Amino acid sequence: MYNLRYILSGHTRSVSSLKFSPDGTLLASAAADKLIKLWDAYTGHIVRTFSGHSAGISDIAWSSDSDYIASASDDKTIVIWSLELGTAVKTLVGHTNFVFCVNFNPNSNLLVSGGFDETVRVWDVARGKVLKVLPAHSDPVTAVSFNHDGTLIVSCAMDGLIRIWDAESGQCLKTLVDDDNPICSHARFSPNSRFVLVTTQDSTVRLWNYHSSRCVKTYSGHTNRTYCISACFSNTSGKYVVSGSEDGKVYIWDLQTRQLAQTLEGHRDVVLAIDTHPLRSIIASASMDKDLTIRLWYEGD
Amino acid sequence: MNESLINPFSITHPTAVQTSLYALALFARFDPSGRFVAGGRADGSAVVWDLETRSPIRTLDGHVKTVTSIDWSRNSRYLLTASKDWNAIVWDLASDCDPIQRHTTIRFDAPVVSASFHPRNSKIVLVLLSTGEPYIADLRKEHRSRVELCEVQEESDEEGAAVPSRPRSAMTVARFDPLGSHVFVGTSAGTILVFNTRTKTMVARHKITGAGAIKGLEFAKSGRRLVTNSSDRTIRQFNLPQYAPPNQEREYLEQELEPTQRFNDPISKTAWHAVSYSPDGEWLAGGAADPAAHKIYIWDMSNDGQFASALDGGREPLTHLHWHPKKSCIASTTNQGNILIWHCPHPERWGAFAGGFEEVDENIVYEEKEDEFDIEDEEVIAERKRKGEEIEVDVEGGVDEEMEVSAGANGAAGKLDEDAAWADEEPDDDVGRWKIKIVMTDEYT
Repeated sequence: MYNLRYILSGHTRSVSSLKFSPDGTLLASAAADKLIKLWDAYTGHIVRTFSGHSAGISDIAWSSDSDYIASASDDKTIVIWSLELGTAVKTLVGHTNFVFCVNFNPNSNLLVSGGFDETVRVWDVARGKVLKVLPAHSDPVTAVSFNHDGTLIVSCAMDGLIRIWDAESGQCLKTLVDDDNPICSHARFSPNSRFVLVTTQDSTVRLWNYHSSRCVKTYSGHTNRTYCISACFSNTSGKYVVSGSEDGKVYIWDLQTRQLAQTLEGHRDVVLAIDTHPLRSIIASASMDKDLTIRLWYEGD
Repeated sequence: MNESLINPFSITHPTAVQTSLYALALFARFDPSGRFVAGGRADGSAVVWDLETRSPIRTLDGHVKTVTSIDWSRNSRYLLTASKDWNAIVWDLASDCDPIQRHTTIRFDAPVVSASFHPRNSKIVLVLLSTGEPYIADLRKEHRSRVELCEVQEESDEEGAAVPSRPRSAMTVARFDPLGSHVFVGTSAGTILVFNTRTKTMVARHKITGAGAIKGLEFAKSGRRLVTNSSDRTIRQFNLPQYAPPNQEREYLEQELEPTQRFNDPISKTAWHAVSYSPDGEWLAGGAADPAAHKIYIWDMSNDGQFASALDGGREPLTHLHWHPKKSCIASTTNQGNILIWHCPHPERWGAFAGGFEEVDENIVYEEKEDEFDIEDEEVIAERKRKGEEIEVDVEGGVDEEMEVSAGANGAAGKLDEDAAWADEEPDDDVGRWKIKIVMTDEYT
């Protein structure tokens, strides 16, 4: 059972993304107020604020060594921030409309991004140059990420399609589509990259086996009709799937039985951003305008 | 990971140039993970390229004369460069600056032709000098030494002392076998000498009839097969015998090796600059020393060494080639210093863009299943779907197994005999899972 441990406040507009650092020490948050804030994951204290974007931020990602953060913004750029230097070190210019999602590959030498210009772009991190532009979708791209060994990219978009790409050649390998073609909010690979976890705006989270193009698990009960809400795996104690919801709760399902294990109540607005800690049983969640807080939920206290 | 989604019915040797890296390199070698390629230059520097971003990421600046060879440690952390400036230098890629600082310098008293790491421990280094002398330099504290590998001379009993003993033939190439227990040395007299790495004693001498001076030695990953490149412009493949452990009497095996295959260019009879096996040992690539063309010959070893293909890399002549350690990919270097990366392109499958769409090669008469268009009760469908989702899924497993397999292939496999145990004493810091730091660079450096 998870219980509320800390309430972090500081952002002045809707929090759009939360990410724990891969080493587990920090929590990064990004919001429509153009700021990125870093928090101590174990004490809830604010550590640092990065500012520089000229429009709201939709997504952030950590490099695997926890040295860099990439942020995707409505100012059409992606900025890479160095924790060591405490400043922006690269600005990636190329998207012709809002950048909506961003992720590093496991080696952190590549970055993949997607946005409202309907493209997926692959970037050289060290040089800040675009390497590939994939005309991936016919509507804004809502999520992109690499698999565990960096050979595949999954993307999903408001056109309702989930696509798997070969990271090296940029070729499309597979397209997954549900019967009713709901808008896809978010997609990510499972830790072993055999499945993709997809949230769609028909208030459903699905686990797809992309080899057989079959949906193997469906999780429901929450509300998701308007916003791009993400879902996460939780594997620190038991196996769960965690998602935000438009009713202000965090939903936790058992991975195998698909039964609702717990709901976390407290937020007073849509829970847009969530993340699970890589090492300990901690969930971070954040909410929109009417609430603006980030909550850290710890298991067992 | 992606192989299962890509069409498996394709040729598995490279067929086309994917990229050309403007590297000013004399030769280029992949690292054991296949993520990087390192090139040595005539000005004494060496450069490491990241193949994913196709950009240079580290410069190794330490030699003052031409770099003659580069070797990678088994987990790619250390690099060993040899140079005509009489030095071999060890570099540590885990140090987080660029250009990176040297880790160790090993000085010799003649130009160094080649230097390589022991496959199990990068603190043991095999070096060949231009004077034709191979050395094993042991950098470990307990074993610190530098030992020359000497050919055993026959005692000329019948002619007595009248004829001076045969002049020592110069050693022209020296390599560890994939396990590291033996050193193979090619000589200008067309022999291959086998030394035990631990005792530094000669355990075998193989005469190769008609070969002339040995120019190159390459092993298939298993270590059971060897190819030689020699001055008679023929590539020979041999199956290697088992070598007995060295004994007190310093006996050695005197055996002529008969090649299982010979490869040469029947028409223009060109020499070869380099040969390289594919990782599975099923293909052999030879880089032709053609002065006006960039030609790579590929032979199908699983098919009795049948000639498979000749790849044309344009007008810049080839100087070196190396097969990728894991993929169907070759790096060949041109005499202008460009590194050509060859790959096996997969045709775009447009059907992949449409969900549930399958491409067929020819028309198929569709046979409708008996119940295909029957109207089913929605509840029945929902129930079946629910049942189907009861099956447990594994979202985490399978990854570590992959890792272990690759660790085993890197030489840790095989029985831990005395030679391996010796090499594993005072291990280096080249453990798996180290990460190279991303160093931000400006475009114009």
